[in-house]
Formats: sequence, structure tokens, C-alpha cells
Amino acid sequence: MSQLELRSIRKTYPGVAEETLKGIDIDIASGEFIILVGPSGCGKSTLMNTIAGLETISDGSIVLDGKDISTMEPKDRDIAMVFQSYALYPTMSVRENIAFGLKIRGLPKHEIDQEVERVADLLQISQLLNKKPANLSGGQQQRVAMGRALARRPRIYLFDEPLSNLDAKLRVEMRTEIKKLHQRLKTTIVYVTHDQIEAMTLADRIAVLKDGELQQLGTPKEVYNTPANLFVAGFMGSPAMSFVTVTVAQGEQGLYAEVRGNNGATLRLPVPDYLADRVGKKVILGIRPEHITQPQDQKNDQSLVAKGEFTIEVTEPTGPDVIALIQLNDTNVHCRIDPEHPVTWGETAELMFDMKKVVFFDPDTEKRIAPH
Amino acid sequence: MTDVVRTGFRPSRVAVYGLLLLAALVYLIPLFIMLVTSFKTPMDIRTGNLMALPTDWTTIGWTKAWSEACTGVQCEGISGYFWNSFKMTVPAVLISTLLGAFNGYVLSKWKFKGSDLFFGMLLFGCFVPFQVVLLPMAATLGKLGLANTTSGLVLVHVIYGVAFTTLFFRNYYVAIPDALIKAARLDGAGFFTIFFRILLPMSTPIFMVSLIWQFTQIWNDFLFGVVFASGDSQPITVALNNLVNTSTGVKEYNVDMAAAMIAALPTLVVYIVAGKYFIRGLTAGSVKG
Repeated sequence: MSQLELRSIRKTYPGVAEETLKGIDIDIASGEFIILVGPSGCGKSTLMNTIAGLETISDGSIVLDGKDISTMEPKDRDIAMVFQSYALYPTMSVRENIAFGLKIRGLPKHEIDQEVERVADLLQISQLLNKKPANLSGGQQQRVAMGRALARRPRIYLFDEPLSNLDAKLRVEMRTEIKKLHQRLKTTIVYVTHDQIEAMTLADRIAVLKDGELQQLGTPKEVYNTPANLFVAGFMGSPAMSFVTVTVAQGEQGLYAEVRGNNGATLRLPVPDYLADRVGKKVILGIRPEHITQPQDQKNDQSLVAKGEFTIEVTEPTGPDVIALIQLNDTNVHCRIDPEHPVTWGETAELMFDMKKVVFFDPDTEKRIAPH
Repeated sequence: MTDVVRTGFRPSRVAVYGLLLLAALVYLIPLFIMLVTSFKTPMDIRTGNLMALPTDWTTIGWTKAWSEACTGVQCEGISGYFWNSFKMTVPAVLISTLLGAFNGYVLSKWKFKGSDLFFGMLLFGCFVPFQVVLLPMAATLGKLGLANTTSGLVLVHVIYGVAFTTLFFRNYYVAIPDALIKAARLDGAGFFTIFFRILLPMSTPIFMVSLIWQFTQIWNDFLFGVVFASGDSQPITVALNNLVNTSTGVKEYNVDMAAAMIAALPTLVVYIVAGKYFIRGLTAGSVKG
């Protein structure tokens, strides 16, 4: 149960002109599951290493439960970390791996044994305790690595891309395990990943980083539905959000933006009133696949809904949906269509645009245009 | 059909194995001659064929070499020098290997400003010819009061060996993921705990490489032994030279050969005992580096 404050953390590596971290501010509440997400090189792993104390910070402070730990040694910070490569000690058995940190801290033997048993039970690895890491599968090694972190009951847990070395099926299983574990133990977790699905499914709040700057900090829902800028919008969601440059115009029934398909047909998409001061100007329409579907009768009378015919260029059945590709204003746009509703590539199909949840970005600042 | 052809005789295969066999024979002939000669009587050597087996098997050459043969003015065999060599080699091998391991640990996992340059310069030590350092080393040993002592020889060999052992261990440790060190640091382990509890237990293969390499180098060294040791502290290589060059009466080839075999045995034994690690350790260190 620990609360962590990152206050304008800056980090510059010696000999490197550009800052790796450009002033990161994040307040992490006790028991919160925070995910740092971003493309490789965005500084997320550096940020995590500075929290752990494995790297120093150039400026700012790290405050754990009201105490500044910025300059403390890693071992004095009471923080545990799970590594992408698991980093299990190869010459030690699973039991010794889990017990190592406790031994170093000088706990009496019976307490160590008790703690190892507790952790092994929790992660269901009791039968592996006497094995060497080399004899374990990837998933088992992952559990042991988590066990080693759990054993010390540290104040903060750091996870550095813990699932990226696992195969797809195991990754989904372990994801659920980690979520269960967090719900049970209510520990404070900072978790680094480049996988936006992991971020969406696990996090209480997501911190999206790019080039050492915090782009957005919010709940998965906030980050998904109201991305702060084009980068966040494009990063979260799969298939990604499509971006179409449109011009806002004033029509008889309200504001609209006209889009043209590659069959030449045009469609006037109704847009919300808060774009009134942008009439005649270009904006970037951010539209997610689920906003363009087959016609749904129950939506016919709703506002901000439009229907039009477009040529389907590619179809990608995923099972629950068919992802179809169309072109709007010469840009590729993904649509999510019910597999029961047949669409064929090369032919036109009637599609319904639900504009209630689409977002708009300023083409110059790339920031989302917020409703006022 | 193709399987049959593959498992059957192929001329190229036969040629390859034939050549290998021939090469092995060529290399084994000197050893064979040494061995059979050492078990012959002087009479047998003078009258018989070099390649022939002894007519009378005798160990007189061996016992004489061990305890009676003359090495210069003394005639006490080479046994004393054999132990001298052990007293010099064992500490020198262990100290240089441990120092190398420690250096390698620091140079790969606790890099400091200029550590790569430091490592690069240390590597020069691998290429400095022995002869170059003879005079300065003699002066240094004299100043330290270690001239003509086994400890002095140990010091010389440790200094000379550290460049190689550091290279071995540094390259081995570079391939070990840094995450392991990070994990240990978060577990609360310090500089020395990480070295002794995490890295050293993982180092068996490279330890064996260093052990074999250093043992062979130091045991077989002649130049340092002949320059920096005298009389009772001389290593076996020097004694062997003296034994062979002592010319009183008839040349006793059986004694010479037996003495040479005795001098060569320890390195052979070390290689046989630890050899399986040698190739493994060398490749483990060289894949990444």
C-alpha cells in the first residue's frame, strides 16, 4: 500500500544531446495499477529504471510515501521488479531464487521458508521449488520471477515488459493472472509495455509516452475515447484509428464534413456543434473501425448518424468481426462489420457512420479539439 | 536410395578420415618414441631401433630421473624441482584467475568512465613479448626483495597472466544479461555479493579455460624460470634443461625421456580432467564479445 509521486523527472545521458526524459509528472495512488506505454525508445524503460534506482535522474524527484527516494540505492528503496528476460539466477533452484532477497536482508530461516511457501502457493509453483530455472518453461519462469518480486512484500512492484517473451496464448493467460493477482493483493504496480492491448486490459490508468514526454495520463477509457492528440489516438486501439482530413461546413441541418469515396460518391457526415468556430477550416477526423458498421436499424433515427455507399477494397475476417477497408478522401479507413452481414471486396456496400464518438484534431497542433 | 549411399562408403569420407588418421599418427610418433625410450635400458637404446619396443622393460630411467639424475652439480633427480613448479604454478594460476574474474566482472558489469580504454590497454599485456620485460622485472623483483624466490616467480606470472584471464572473464561476463545484475541489486545484493553469489557460480566453464590456459603457460614457462629463479627455487623446465645438458659420461636417453615425460605429465592431466570445459568455455566466451 504505497503511493508514488514522480515530480518533473528529467534524465539526460552523458554525451547525448537530447533529453531521454523531459519532465515526467505522474502521481500514483496506493494500490493503483499504472501502465507506461509507448513505442520503443520513448523512455518508458528508462523511467522505470529510475524509479527502481538502477539509473539516476538528472532533475526532479521521486517520492515514495512522502519520502524522497531520488538518491537512494536500489536496495534501500523497497521496490521489486520483474524483468522481461525474467533474470532468474541460473545456478540457484527456484526456492533459492525466491529466497535470495530475503536471505540478503537477513531474515531468519523459518520466516524465509514460510514466505517462500506462501508465494509458491499463491503462484502455484510449489512443485517447481527444487528445479533449476533452465528446466522450466517460459511461463513457469515468468511465475518464478513474479514470485521473487512478491516474496519481499515490497512497497512498489515494477514490471518491465514481463509478457513479451511469452507466446501469444500464454501471454493472454498470464495477463489474466496478473490482473487477478493485483485485484487480490491490491498492490501498487508500475508496468511497462509496448503492447496497447495489455495496457487497455490491465491498467487502472495508462501513461502514454513518446520521445520522453508524457502524452496523456488517464483511464483506459479516457485514453481510448478521448485521446489527447494524434499520437495517442493512433497508438491505442487495434486496428488503429483512421485519420481523414475534412473541411467543416455549415449545412441546413447543422454542421457537416464531406467525404468522398474512391467510387466518386460523396457523403455528408454530420459533425458535432462544437466545431462551429471551425467552419470552412480543415480538421482531422479520427474515426475508429467500430464507428463505421453495416446499417443498424435501431440507429436510423439517432442524430449524428449517416449512411453511404462505398467500395470495399479489402476484407479481413477476424472471427467476431470483419475488418473492411474503404477509402475516404484518398485515405485508408477501417470499418468493423458484422460477419453475418456479407460484404465482398471490390463491390460497394452500404455503411453506417456513427459520429457520436469520433474525435477531431487540429491539423497544426495535432491536439484533440475538445468540446466546450 | 540416397540414404543407402549416405551411410555407405564414400571415397571423400575415406580420404578425410585417412588424412586425419595420418595426421594423428605423425603427432603421436614423438610421444611414442619418448615413451618407449624411457622404458629401455641404455644398452637397448644404443643397439636397437628407435621405433622398436623395449626388449627388457625397465623403469630405471624413471626412478633415476626422479631421484638420482644430475642437474648440474647436484645429483638428486628432478623431484625437488617438480614440487618447485607446483609451488609456483598453483598459487600463480589461482591468483591470476581470481584477479581476472574480478577484473572481468568490473569491466563488464560496473563500467566506469574510460573502462573500455582501460580494457583495451590491458589487452596489450597479451602481446608483450617475455624478453621485453626481463630487465625491468629483474630490477623490480630485486627492489621488492623477491629475487630468486618462488614468490617472485609467482608474482611475475600473476602479472603476466592477468591480461589473459581478464580477457577471458570479461568476454564471458559481457554475454551475461545485465538484468541479472539489476535483479540482484534490487534484491539487496551489493558489489561483492553479486560477484561471489551470482556470477562466480555461473563461471565454471570459463574458470576451467582460464585454469588450463594459465596452468599450461606457467608450468611450461622456461624463460622467467631461468632468469628469475636460481638453485633450489628453479622450476622443472629449467631443471630438465640442466639435466639434459649435463654431460658426464654416456648420454642417458632413457633418463632424459623419462624426465621430459614427468615434466609434461601435470599439464596433460589438467587438460584431461578439465578439457571438456575448455572448448565449451572458449566458444561460450567468444560467441558474444
